[in-house]
Amino acid sequence: MQTFAPQIVAFCCRHCAYSAADLAGGARLSYPPSIKIVEMPCTGRANVLEILHALEKGADGVAVAGCLPGTCHYIKGNTLAKHRVDHVMELLKSIGLEQQRARMINISAAMGAQFANEVTNFFETIKALGPSPLSGATSNTRIGS
Amino acid sequence: MPLDADYDNNDSLTSEESNPTGAVLVIGGGISGMQASLDLVNTGYKVFMVEKNSAIGGNMARLDKTFPSNDCAMCTISPRLVDSEQHLDVEVLTNSEVLQVTGEAGNFTATLHTRPRFIDADKCTACGKCAEVCPVPAENIFDGSLVKRRAAYKLYPQGAPNAFAIDKRGVAPCRDACPTGQRAQGYIAMIAEGRVAEAYRSIKRDNPFPAICGRICNARCESACSRGKIDEAVSIRSLKRYVTDTMMHEERIAPQKAERLHDEKIAIVGAGPCGLTAAQDLVLAGYEVTVFESLPVAGGMLRVGVPEYRLPADIIEREVADIIDLGVDLRLSTSVENIDDLLADGFNAVLVCVGAHEGNRLPIPGNDLNGILVNTSFLRDVRLNQLDSTARDPRPDVAGKRVVVIGGGDVAMDVVRTAARLGATDVQVAMRESEDAIPASPEEVVGAYQENITLNTSLNFLRIMDDGSGKVAGVECQCVNKFDIDENGRWVADVIEGSEFVIDADVVVFSTGQKAGLALIPEASEVKVNANNTLEINPNTFATGHPSIFAAGDAISGTAFVIEAVATGHKAANSIHRYLRGEEMDVSEAERPVASFTQQELDARVLKGELVPTPRIAAGSLPVDNREGFEEVDQCYTKAEAMAEAARCLNCGICSECLACEDACEIEAIDMNGMAKTYDVKVGAVIMAPGYRPYNAEHSEEFGLGRYANVLTSIQYERLLSASGPTNGKVLRPSDNQRPKRIAWLQCVGSRDANHDYCSAVCCMYATKQVTMTKGHWPDIDTEVFIMDLRAFGKGYEAYYNKARDNLGVRYTRSRVSKIVEDPLSKNLLLRYMDRGERANTETGESIREEIFDMVVLSVGMEIDDSTKQLAQRLNVEVDDYGFCKTLQYDPLQTSREGFYAVGPFREPKDIPESLLEASGAAAQAGTMLRKSRGTLTREAVFPAEREIVTENPKVAVFVCHCGTNIGGYLDVPGVAEYARGLPGVIHSEDPMYACSQDSVAHITEKVKEMGANRVVIASCTPLTHEPVFRKSLRAAGLNAYLLDMANIRNQCSWVHSHDWDAATEKAKDMVRMSIARATNLQPLTTNEMSVQSGAVVIGGGAAGMEAAITLADQGFPVDLVERASELGGALRHLHYGLEQFGIETALPPRGSDTFLGPQDYLKKLIAKVENHPSISLHFNAEVVNAQGFMGNFSSTIAYADREERIEISHGATIVCVGGVEYRGEEYGYGSDARITTQQQFESTLAELENVGGETPNNVVMIQCVGPADKYCGRICCTSALKNALTLKRLNPMAQITVIYKDIRTYGFKERIYTQAREAGVIFMHYEADREAEVTIDADGALNVSLWEEILGRQMDLKPDVVVLSTPIVPSPRAAELANKLKVAQDADGFFMEAHIKLRPVDFLADGVFMAGLAHYPKLLQESIIQAKAAAARAATILSRDTLTTGGPVAEINQKMCVACLTCVRSCPFGAPRISSDAPSIGGILGAAYIESALCQGCGLCTASCPACAIELKHYTENQMGAKLDALFKKAYV
Repeated sequence: MQTFAPQIVAFCCRHCAYSAADLAGGARLSYPPSIKIVEMPCTGRANVLEILHALEKGADGVAVAGCLPGTCHYIKGNTLAKHRVDHVMELLKSIGLEQQRARMINISAAMGAQFANEVTNFFETIKALGPSPLSGATSNTRIGS
Repeated sequence: MPLDADYDNNDSLTSEESNPTGAVLVIGGGISGMQASLDLVNTGYKVFMVEKNSAIGGNMARLDKTFPSNDCAMCTISPRLVDSEQHLDVEVLTNSEVLQVTGEAGNFTATLHTRPRFIDADKCTACGKCAEVCPVPAENIFDGSLVKRRAAYKLYPQGAPNAFAIDKRGVAPCRDACPTGQRAQGYIAMIAEGRVAEAYRSIKRDNPFPAICGRICNARCESACSRGKIDEAVSIRSLKRYVTDTMMHEERIAPQKAERLHDEKIAIVGAGPCGLTAAQDLVLAGYEVTVFESLPVAGGMLRVGVPEYRLPADIIEREVADIIDLGVDLRLSTSVENIDDLLADGFNAVLVCVGAHEGNRLPIPGNDLNGILVNTSFLRDVRLNQLDSTARDPRPDVAGKRVVVIGGGDVAMDVVRTAARLGATDVQVAMRESEDAIPASPEEVVGAYQENITLNTSLNFLRIMDDGSGKVAGVECQCVNKFDIDENGRWVADVIEGSEFVIDADVVVFSTGQKAGLALIPEASEVKVNANNTLEINPNTFATGHPSIFAAGDAISGTAFVIEAVATGHKAANSIHRYLRGEEMDVSEAERPVASFTQQELDARVLKGELVPTPRIAAGSLPVDNREGFEEVDQCYTKAEAMAEAARCLNCGICSECLACEDACEIEAIDMNGMAKTYDVKVGAVIMAPGYRPYNAEHSEEFGLGRYANVLTSIQYERLLSASGPTNGKVLRPSDNQRPKRIAWLQCVGSRDANHDYCSAVCCMYATKQVTMTKGHWPDIDTEVFIMDLRAFGKGYEAYYNKARDNLGVRYTRSRVSKIVEDPLSKNLLLRYMDRGERANTETGESIREEIFDMVVLSVGMEIDDSTKQLAQRLNVEVDDYGFCKTLQYDPLQTSREGFYAVGPFREPKDIPESLLEASGAAAQAGTMLRKSRGTLTREAVFPAEREIVTENPKVAVFVCHCGTNIGGYLDVPGVAEYARGLPGVIHSEDPMYACSQDSVAHITEKVKEMGANRVVIASCTPLTHEPVFRKSLRAAGLNAYLLDMANIRNQCSWVHSHDWDAATEKAKDMVRMSIARATNLQPLTTNEMSVQSGAVVIGGGAAGMEAAITLADQGFPVDLVERASELGGALRHLHYGLEQFGIETALPPRGSDTFLGPQDYLKKLIAKVENHPSISLHFNAEVVNAQGFMGNFSSTIAYADREERIEISHGATIVCVGGVEYRGEEYGYGSDARITTQQQFESTLAELENVGGETPNNVVMIQCVGPADKYCGRICCTSALKNALTLKRLNPMAQITVIYKDIRTYGFKERIYTQAREAGVIFMHYEADREAEVTIDADGALNVSLWEEILGRQMDLKPDVVVLSTPIVPSPRAAELANKLKVAQDADGFFMEAHIKLRPVDFLADGVFMAGLAHYPKLLQESIIQAKAAAARAATILSRDTLTTGGPVAEINQKMCVACLTCVRSCPFGAPRISSDAPSIGGILGAAYIESALCQGCGLCTASCPACAIELKHYTENQMGAKLDALFKKAYV
């Protein structure tokens, strides 16, 4: 049976989460193909508008994945990112969308398995929510694995 | 004067007429080796980094997190790995060691030895297929031996170089013993995993007759098998048979005909195992091969010499068919009459392997009677008649007859057992050999006995008896005591006179050796025949006297075993191929080491329980009652039996050379024949950073490591915690894979004990880290740490420890556990220990406690590896008994050998930041020595000028990499490339097999030039490792390096979605489309070269400041040394006694001196040196009052307290060494009474009293951890206190000294001063924080110290003459002001804050500013000296450059949109955004922000913070990122 496969954008910091994704691949760990990674020098680079744009353009969920708390290579990038994700969640709520469509993930470069788990978990959460009304899709029009 | 001598020496070194070599040898690729290397290459020296493992990273790469910041070790170390490995000037030599270093400081020749990794690291793409197919399990030392890895392995996933390696001890003894080199260990490993088809392929590689050898081989492999030293050899032959039988049950797939590659034709005479082996090799090599066989069947002696019951004909036929089907022209029943005819017929080479088919008869009377047979013809006739009853010679008729076989070899047994099967009534064997020397193999003898055959031994044969009619009647024999062999090789019998007797017989069969039938060799041939009827050949080339005629097999050796025939067949074929190709023929193969185990090694493993003696598993055999026919006697293993037997293999060679990896590797990166290399490199200096090894706690038997499953070492526990470790970061008990509920940590295992008189300095903290991580993940796990003292002496450590104890609920118990006992059922662990303190002081007086835990972690200490000790000896560098390196006083990195520097735990156990300080410090010293040759050996990549592309439309060239099957095997790569071709802006798309291979990288460059492309997209693996590679190919094509985007379709797609071809293909298309969209928006980024001011400002004229200044000035950089006071010296002025005499600091006197120098003498020399140094300008009574600029271009204003003048200094770097002062608060009545003093004051008093011979106090109480020491540990107070205590004891042996302490923190070798103090009678009394002592003054004016005595459990009063308070160093009172001026940070305690507490211990976050000495944290003098040198090294990486590159992917502010709100200024941790007061901002209002690009780190925090969206981070602009998202969601974004 074909089911709804949410489109997920994961903004990944080059130092930690992106490395963890590389490690997950190296260990041949699987996660849903509709998760697309966008590399950034630091999650501190991800601004609120960008996260909202991703949702506006069609993402059903946006994850911002950076280093573990306190270990940002730029001292406070992931802390700023967390604030921004929180802010986006507030904004989503205020326009009647599910807050869960944005999520901050903290992960170290050694956590390949955890990366796969975290994004899969996010995927499942969004899947349960159904398509984002902004995506212009319905449960029946967007299918995949 | 010693110190001056030192400096003279230094000068003479660098002023020599011959310049030194501008390269440095760095021994060790751990974190300190990497730091030293990077500092060196960044100051202009080439580095050879020698690492003994297959990847760099050292012990730090094994850690999960690092304390006290809980940073992921891998996150922090991997950038260094990549930097070190990819730097043009660092030559990383893995699998390598240093054999010797000759020459003088400045000009050394180092002889290096590199073991082969067997996988070409340049080719390897780290796909891991080799490890996937490798059948051999090997010890995974990296993972603490908790799990196995494969012989083909990558040390750890992130390891550099990013390549696999093969772990090989040498050739396995079984393979070595086999004439044809069968990879027995390999196929056995495959059998153990049930991979029978692969095992078959592996066997067939060396032996075309495995089914045959699985039955009748003499199995020399088994004689050589190491397992035989413990119990019994592995039953290798039976295992081989198991493989072939299993395969033969499956339908045969005929091999493909071999391709003809060469014109030459080859004739082979004889279709035995030798001839057919050669035929196979030669036909596979591409020749036309014709085999002539006089018999009607192929297989030679196998087919007609070995009876059916041992070797069924169908098996032979199948193996022969596998060869013939390759395209061999086999001519049966075709005798070659004359070898020369073949050459005349146009054959270019002939191989004679006619075997030895002519049986011998003993030269005794009656040997030609009727009824006499010969073994070979007997067996042949039986075999041929089984095939065809109308064969030329009839089947020998022995039914109902008495048969005697003369001979005792395997053939004799074949004959006699065949005769029995043909119905002979009485069958006997008679032989010369005695019963204990029967030549036949034991199983044959057993078989004969089982079949009721009589064996007559120790006989001399006199004649064959005649029945009178010319027929055989019997054999007359004589008994012998023994036979000897004389010098002519003849048998000489020691007969027993009168023992003659007759064995009655109707048929006698001679089985006394065979020889070759050589009638085909003409009399006058150049082919010579030896006296023993074998052909004469060159044993290396197998060539006879005629260059085109070769010979092999039994024809050259006489009767031998099948495996020899196969072996010589291979060799002769190879030789013929070389001959026909005109290649050198007489080549000898290099000797390769054999990987056998000694009896001792094996016994030790048995003793440890690693190996359990287990007898071999016997294969079944046909019951004797069923042996009437020719049914096969020996039976085959079942699968279970085979797997169990295979599991007995010890994997001697580690790599078994099965070549499964070679088959699996698509890029031909495997080179099994890799050889070790020994070679020389020229270097000017050597930095030794060989690191430590964790103590092998199996030696502390009381803890049961290795015997008790749930006792782990700290390294093993670290691997459990590590997300990329064997359990993916879960803590599980090895015994049952369950999460433990109670874990105990035992400290000081292999430290502070009878065998280690030192403290390993890191264990307390790493154990605290481990409990912190454990509690963080699983708060329900109960944790207890058994300590002697908790040594949290470093920066941030005390708070970290307090948090674990007070917030996380970790129990710290002060006791040394004496013994662990395992409960054999639950595998839980019972700990026995002596409890100290109140809990012990019960009414019963019971103080021995027992507690049960379900896991115990041993915090193992640091030791020096034996290989390091040997290295030190080879390099003539002095080490102590433990192997720790001795270094010079006041020059603590300089070893006993000039030009050799020692860093890291090799000097003394230590933590990562201190190791890094030493690494940088050593780099500075090497740099000083080699300064004349700076930049002489470093390289710079030269690229063509960049093409201007701004006016062009985007023209994208796309390369979609197959990565062999890594991508291509899981998604439609050509389809993705085709799809990309249709996307907007794309002018070219192709799908290379390996985009990163050298030729491919060059091809990309060419293609970009040819097509005029101005953007490139590479869809392949991760940019983290490969972006630099492809950027280079863009630069080579004249494009800006930033016009590249990579789609990571391997790590993020093919490897993740390997089960779903369509989804993976679709995702790859999405990813490539996103990349192209971003690429079309990419812009070339320019960088600017900014000139660098060559000088440095050093603030502070204490020991650290002076050492830093000298180190820089000695390298030729001008230094302004700014000192607030009117004299130099700082805190060093208060130091009167060194630590050297306690054996706890540098062990060697300064160069040029026989004795140690006092601190004040050192200070004097240091001041003299600074004052006289031409490159140092001194500023007394001076302060930096204003500081501007950035790395490379600072401007500082110096003001003087004693005059109005101010001066402005331009400099490239700043080093802050403003020191610290001893805390003097009011605690314990300090200040109220002169008898209450501090350690610094007490030391001065002692020195003064010693000078004048004054009377020293008799009773002293020292109180530790006074004042702010409850917030942070003062680090040096314990050591200073004990130094003063021992000094007092020396001056006044009767003095009574009591030290009241919380923990004695004498880390590293400082432990020895603690031991000496206890031995000298210093009394130690412990107190807890809530029970501090009280100092009062009695009514009579006497001092009174009142405290709680824990062991007695009561309050006690002491009456000292003097109370000495150990107060910590606190930051200089002016530090905050300076921090503000320099815009650098301080920590909560007021010390300057480094950029990263673990990995950047001298850098400030602000580039170009560094720190050293007490301003950073309290430290001992020698630690300050080291840190000063390190700071100088870091500064030199800037000062040594003419220009600095700025720009690239940095942020930029559009000032027209700026509202100067300062958000960016606040968001940036690096101070890059600044306000320019005269620049117009939005609406033309003056005052707009700008980014100082030299300071910008490119993180983008400001970009995302700017409320006006006025800031763009180049290379990650909104357009570029947005284009990616647009492309993702608009599939046809055209």
